[in-house]
Amino acid sequence: MGMIYIMLVVSLVIALFFLASFFWATKSGQFDDDYTPSVRILFDDESTQNSNNQIENKQIDGNSEV
Amino acid sequence: MKEKTCYHCGDEVIGKGIIFDQKSFCCNGCKSVYQLLKDTNLTNFYRMESNAGAKPTLSNQHKYAFLEVETIRDKFMDYKDEKSARVTLFLPQIHCSSCIYLLENLTKIEPTVLSCQVNFAKREVAIIFDPKKITLAKLALLLDRIGYAPNFGNRSATEKKIDKQFLYKLGIAGFAFGSIMLWSFPEYLGVKSDDPAIRNFTSYLSFAISIPVIFYSASEYFISAFKALRYKSLNLDVPITIGIIALYLQSTYSILIGDGPGYMDSFAGFIFFLLIGKWFQNKTYKTLSFERDYTSYFPVAVTRLVQFDKGEKEEIIEIEELKERDKIIIRNEEIIPCDSTLLSENTKIDYSFVTGESNPIHKQKGDFIYAGGKLLGQRIELKVEKESNRSHLTQLWNDIKTTKKKTSGFLYQNKLSIYFLSILLIIAAISAGVWVFIDLTRVTQIVVAILIVACPCALALSAPFTFGNVMRLLGRKGLYLKNTAVIEKLNTITDIVFDKTGTLTNGANQHIEFVGDNLTNPQFDALYCLANSSTHPLSRSIVQYLRSKKIVSNYPIHGFTEISGKGISGSINACAIRIGNAEFTNQKELDSNETSTFILIQNGENISKGRFVFTSELRDGIEDLMHKLSGYNLHVLSGDRDKDKVLLEQIFPKNSRLLFEQTPKNKLDYIDGLKKIGKHVLMVGDGLNDAGALGIADVGIAVSEDVFRFTPSSDAIIEATKLWQLDKLLLLSNFSQTVLKICLAFSLTYNLIGLSFAISGNLTPLIAAILMPISSITVVIISTFLVYFKK
Repeated sequence: MGMIYIMLVVSLVIALFFLASFFWATKSGQFDDDYTPSVRILFDDESTQNSNNQIENKQIDGNSEV
Repeated sequence: MKEKTCYHCGDEVIGKGIIFDQKSFCCNGCKSVYQLLKDTNLTNFYRMESNAGAKPTLSNQHKYAFLEVETIRDKFMDYKDEKSARVTLFLPQIHCSSCIYLLENLTKIEPTVLSCQVNFAKREVAIIFDPKKITLAKLALLLDRIGYAPNFGNRSATEKKIDKQFLYKLGIAGFAFGSIMLWSFPEYLGVKSDDPAIRNFTSYLSFAISIPVIFYSASEYFISAFKALRYKSLNLDVPITIGIIALYLQSTYSILIGDGPGYMDSFAGFIFFLLIGKWFQNKTYKTLSFERDYTSYFPVAVTRLVQFDKGEKEEIIEIEELKERDKIIIRNEEIIPCDSTLLSENTKIDYSFVTGESNPIHKQKGDFIYAGGKLLGQRIELKVEKESNRSHLTQLWNDIKTTKKKTSGFLYQNKLSIYFLSILLIIAAISAGVWVFIDLTRVTQIVVAILIVACPCALALSAPFTFGNVMRLLGRKGLYLKNTAVIEKLNTITDIVFDKTGTLTNGANQHIEFVGDNLTNPQFDALYCLANSSTHPLSRSIVQYLRSKKIVSNYPIHGFTEISGKGISGSINACAIRIGNAEFTNQKELDSNETSTFILIQNGENISKGRFVFTSELRDGIEDLMHKLSGYNLHVLSGDRDKDKVLLEQIFPKNSRLLFEQTPKNKLDYIDGLKKIGKHVLMVGDGLNDAGALGIADVGIAVSEDVFRFTPSSDAIIEATKLWQLDKLLLLSNFSQTVLKICLAFSLTYNLIGLSFAISGNLTPLIAAILMPISSITVVIISTFLVYFKK
């Protein structure tokens, strides 16, 4: 029966993990805008065809600073 | 004639327009945006939504010059270091997915921009750029050129944090609700373990995670109830708080004596549902600003002329630093920031932002010019008479602040909660009295059970969901409310006061008349040809007017010239024609308050003169609307002279009051007077001259051609094209009261069922756990269905 205690604690830890990820998501602004990302995902990434690697790299750099 | 639309912005192309790449454009601005997009391989922009472009306005180089001044620029920057700088700009023109596509690909147009991310809901872009290669001023100009002019007004940043706090509260309540329910599962099934230690363990776990719920998630309700009690009044939060506390203490007690987790699951679920209701109610229109004041419309900085060794020097300073007697320069399309006198010759000023009147006003050298007007034409020099914060406009604004709206404290629910609480206490007292004789030991338990089950959770949810749904529905029909409390106020309205100019009438919906010499048909034909070659808005109106008279022609024009600010000329079939202002056509202006375009046709010795007079017309459907609104007392307060009195008398019901030549202060006092005799007033206005009236009325609705542009602070914003539906919108808002009553009936029924369990001493945690969510969900479903099926 001692197993049940471990299971209870595990369930709490898992729930706490999700709570923490929710907090993190809120804090990092993921709920600030619930429309733009749904549109953004549909854009074709043309910059690869353009072989304009310089711009591409800059874009990645820029995003990581946000 | 088939009407063409601009490939970029979708506006009608007048005349030939500009043909480029086999596509027609309405103006050079649209064409150059297309060219830019084509050169950078971004033509997907047009594939996503047709005619999606925003029409660029003609801005001069100096528009963003103030951003070159370091102290001003740094105010707008979020972050800056050697390699990169980040700025968040508000672009009111963002309106569709194509806009997002274009802006997020800004790096392709301007490689010095490192990244650009759009927040559609707020109409903001966060741009990271290389400050060494491009300045903020150039960036702003680039955005302006592609049709997204950034707005550098004051924007509040405080609401963001509150929003997040609320999400944390909701998250914790949800987490606790789920976990406690999981651990209570054996209780639901009635499974009794041989080992009471497990039950105790889960109980204490539940207790532990309920602590942040009561002290953090539920704190708003306690604070609100406490405030109400301190002012010796009641609101719905008082019975809710009593219920929450009873629920929590009972459960804690039950856990401490080793009698299982009690009602902890109901408790956490209850808080969770309440917070969801609040979240639903608070999801308002982030993009619309109801509190924006005039400062966000004013420029941030202005060009001042300072005496220098030899002559004068221009320098850019912030508005706040302007002193009396300073000389300033205002350029075309710029706003005049302070009361001043005109040092230059003639000019035209558009006061539509202040008065709602879109016809520009002529000013001459030495005239006094009030702040808030927009310059139309060549640059002018002004002498500052009063500092910006002491100007006429600012004084008007401060008047409003001092006569701030008193909240009437009327809330249907608050009235209800008084009855609710007294009945609840009576029932509890009677049951306690009865149970004293049955079983003395159970009296406390019964009273607590009654308080728990009577907790008006469903009641508390019905209002946010009903009002929230109605608010969303109204928004879809073009009436945007500041918050849900406005709905309740709308339902008590007895009097409606209208402003005339810009509200009942419309600047764009113009009535045109030709006054002057009798013209022959060929002469009209020639006029049509000439006007058709110009893209000036007045020429466009003339073309449309002539077209409605079935005058359409296409002759070659010789020597076409367009002089901006004056007019156009050309010769057709040996007639020399001029269309333009009075001076340009050698005529005299009769009435400076009249908007007219003069014409001159010269055919050898034969000279014909005349003018097209533009008068504003009532908006479509206003006449019908007034008829439908006859159940209310109607009033009109107009700042104009009474030239339209006859027209208005015809369409307004007989008992309406029509007042003319009203100053902003008059309007404010009139509404205050109505309120003092017990009327509930709805004010419908548009310009800043109505701001006082809108502020003091029970409900102020600002009419706007474009809801994202400036509107005076108000309780609601209505799209100008939807004003004719005002009666329907009011009816819809009134319908919310019916829905609320139905929900009320349901939630009270559930309360009665629960009470019968409680009084008879049968309220187990299991029954509470079933009743509570069922009643809440029923109410939410009912309110949603009723509102959406009404329409």
